[in-house]
Amino acid sequence: MKKVEIRVRQTEKMAILEVSGELDYSNVEQLQQEIQRRPEEVVEINLRELKFIDSSGAGMLLNQARHLYRQGRSLRIVCIPDHIREDLELIGFFRVLEILKADPDA
Amino acid sequence: MVEVITGNERILRAYCLEVSGSCLPAEQVGGDFFEFIPCDARTMFAVIGDVMGKGFHAARLMETIRQMLRDCITNNPHPLEAVRLLNKVAGYELRKCGAFATLCLLCYDGITGRLTCVNAGHHPPLLLSDGKVKVARCRGVALGLLEDYLGSGVEEFFLAAGDAVVLYTDGLVEACGPGEQRYGLERLKKIVCLQNGANADRMKRNILSDLQAFTSGFPQKDDVTLAVMKVAGRAGEKSGD
Repeated sequence: MKKVEIRVRQTEKMAILEVSGELDYSNVEQLQQEIQRRPEEVVEINLRELKFIDSSGAGMLLNQARHLYRQGRSLRIVCIPDHIREDLELIGFFRVLEILKADPDA
Repeated sequence: MVEVITGNERILRAYCLEVSGSCLPAEQVGGDFFEFIPCDARTMFAVIGDVMGKGFHAARLMETIRQMLRDCITNNPHPLEAVRLLNKVAGYELRKCGAFATLCLLCYDGITGRLTCVNAGHHPPLLLSDGKVKVARCRGVALGLLEDYLGSGVEEFFLAAGDAVVLYTDGLVEACGPGEQRYGLERLKKIVCLQNGANADRMKRNILSDLQAFTSGFPQKDDVTLAVMKVAGRAGEKSGD
């Protein structure tokens, strides 16, 4: 299993999950469970220290974003390293996030 | 290396195409696939794709999507319509599992040399012509992420004898080498550029050798799939079989 570390910080309305290491099919549930555990209105995922994400990681983030938007909450993904941003851009990740924000059932 | 060369050579010669492809799994079986699908006497489809995840589940979903794609092409052989329809039917299966799939579909007309390309979240193909490499610009959202397919539409090229098309999955350009460097698109373009004059199988082997040299000694995270098709002439100019 690849190593991923999640550090949690929280403010009144927002949880910040700082993710480092490599996020892939073998450990993606760790982050998924942490997102699902948060009761805050906004869950922010900070990817500054993330080295690698595979399609399972990207798919999980979009599924969780859809889930939170349906509840009237939101998932923010910030500080994305350039090489990971390029990979996510290719699959249409950011377009999908925008569309889901407006219509979580799209 | 698990090498998979699909397509009936007899049929492909009828389109005056040489094709060669390989899938190299990383740790366990994944969702990469490629296929050459004859449509009618002059038209052939080529597809490359990658289903999210690993193991039996991804492999089973990949097989389902391949079959659905063949059905969609039979239903409507226009590549954009085939991808739209595939996103409807396969998207339903993918969403049930919280998954998605990337795919690039090419349609080649062996009489006119026209190559039509539609992309759903996949790395766009490279085109080698007269020693110059061009990256296709077609883009689109991966299958299963939205109810309706969203993309830049079809992109068309006209291929001449000697031109080649290189299809690959993310495992190739994201392969790791020294200092956590990636193999990358620029290195791939350079090695493809040097393949002018080589046949499809030689091109594929040379690219994989260069990848091997770059990644030697470093464990890989993802499967690598590479497929090359090269125009040998115009369909009808040669006798086929």
